[in-house]
Amino acid sequence: MKNQESHNANDTFLAQWLAGEISDAELKTLVSETDYKSFLKLRKGLDVYDELESSTELSFVKIQEKITRKKGKVRSLNANTWLMGIAASVVLFFGLFSILGNDIVTIETNFGEQKTIALLDGSEVIMNSKSTLTYDEDKWKQNRTLNLEGEAYFKVKKGSAFTVVTKNGEVQVLGTQFNVITVSDFFEVVCFEGKVSVKSNNESFVLLPTNSVRRINGNAIEKWEVSSTNPSWIEGESNFKSVPIRYVISALESQYNIQIHADAIDDNLIFTGSFTHKNLNTALKTVFKSLQIQYFEKEKGNIYLGLK
Amino acid sequence: MECIFSKQIMSKDQHNICHSKTFESLYQTYAKDIRRFIFYKTQDIDKAEDILQDTFIKLWDNCGKVHYDKAKSFLYTVASNTFLNTVKHDKVVKKHQQSISSQHNNESPEFIMLEKEFMEKLERTINSLPEKQKEVFLLNRIEKKKYKEIAEMLDISVKAVEKRMHSALLVLREKIGNV
Repeated sequence: MKNQESHNANDTFLAQWLAGEISDAELKTLVSETDYKSFLKLRKGLDVYDELESSTELSFVKIQEKITRKKGKVRSLNANTWLMGIAASVVLFFGLFSILGNDIVTIETNFGEQKTIALLDGSEVIMNSKSTLTYDEDKWKQNRTLNLEGEAYFKVKKGSAFTVVTKNGEVQVLGTQFNVITVSDFFEVVCFEGKVSVKSNNESFVLLPTNSVRRINGNAIEKWEVSSTNPSWIEGESNFKSVPIRYVISALESQYNIQIHADAIDDNLIFTGSFTHKNLNTALKTVFKSLQIQYFEKEKGNIYLGLK
Repeated sequence: MECIFSKQIMSKDQHNICHSKTFESLYQTYAKDIRRFIFYKTQDIDKAEDILQDTFIKLWDNCGKVHYDKAKSFLYTVASNTFLNTVKHDKVVKKHQQSISSQHNNESPEFIMLEKEFMEKLERTINSLPEKQKEVFLLNRIEKKKYKEIAEMLDISVKAVEKRMHSALLVLREKIGNV
């Protein structure tokens, strides 16, 4: 190395150079031309080495975003899947839906997740967080029937009857856009386009655009009008109109993957308003401040409610 | 009943790429290798990331057609083709740019080629560094700790940390040879 003699005293300059305390130009004066080139390549190799080893998680998030934006399609299972699979059997799902055969498609969304699904007939379903949708692909052509638990917005292509079965009732249409919520004993249908028929507890209703019906806890059906043209949750907000707070709480829980402990408050309090899907703190503030309920995060993801 | 149901779905869907869990596990298995594979072609980590993403989106788009056992070769083929397409595109762009901009300076650090062999040798050499140098080296390069922080962690002087780094770099330089 050129200059090695004179720099024996300084046996840390490479460390300083790598940390950026010594410039490349300075290094060039300290070592030979070939050494200089080697060190530059070494440094670049080290930088890249880190990057090649770094996590690929972020890219996966981007992939998911791109897929969602492209409205990922649900496709058939491989034709020979059943050969590998366990013999078909009658399966009871939530003790309610009898499903026969091997081509049951199940789509689930996780906490805070939304999925857009293109069905085989060109219809589209947008699922809100913590929802499950199942349908029989084999029978789809003859019978457009889906099972839903949770919340979803349907844009149905014209064709034969399209039925959404829930444990709170059935929703049937020909070609339209509507939103269904069926979370435990909370059931709500809003029609945005076309004509929707709803059957629940032996009662039937026909909804026209902006009409909505709701049944809470087996009580009588309530009807009202909405003014929006899309369910608000598609724009990243959940909206409620005179809803017992416990349903708002469970919507918050599914959206943010948190536990809300509401033992200390009356969970029949009525809430009207909305919360954002973007920021938990803002969401908690908008819901609970208006009802004068105090909340605090005792442990991570555990929120306790109390009265002022 | 719920439990039985989900078990059956699992075993049936385990090898179905359209199932998001399967898709994700394929990603976990191959993402780094594909990114590396493309990096050696592009020499550009950002481009490698882009191609990685496009490749897996293609797999998702074709999830019903690609057999689970063929997923790996599908991924490599798509990655490779996507790379070739970007080269084609880049050539057109470059041709256009060259008419305006001056010649590239091959001396500048941006144009240092990092070959697969070089990177492998580098990794082997890092792993074979003397224990004390290696410790400091990895804390600095992988954990991104500053010399001062390392000094505090190991209860030695900053000067001692720098000495070890300096020696480690000399070892690497020697083992890797001229470039």
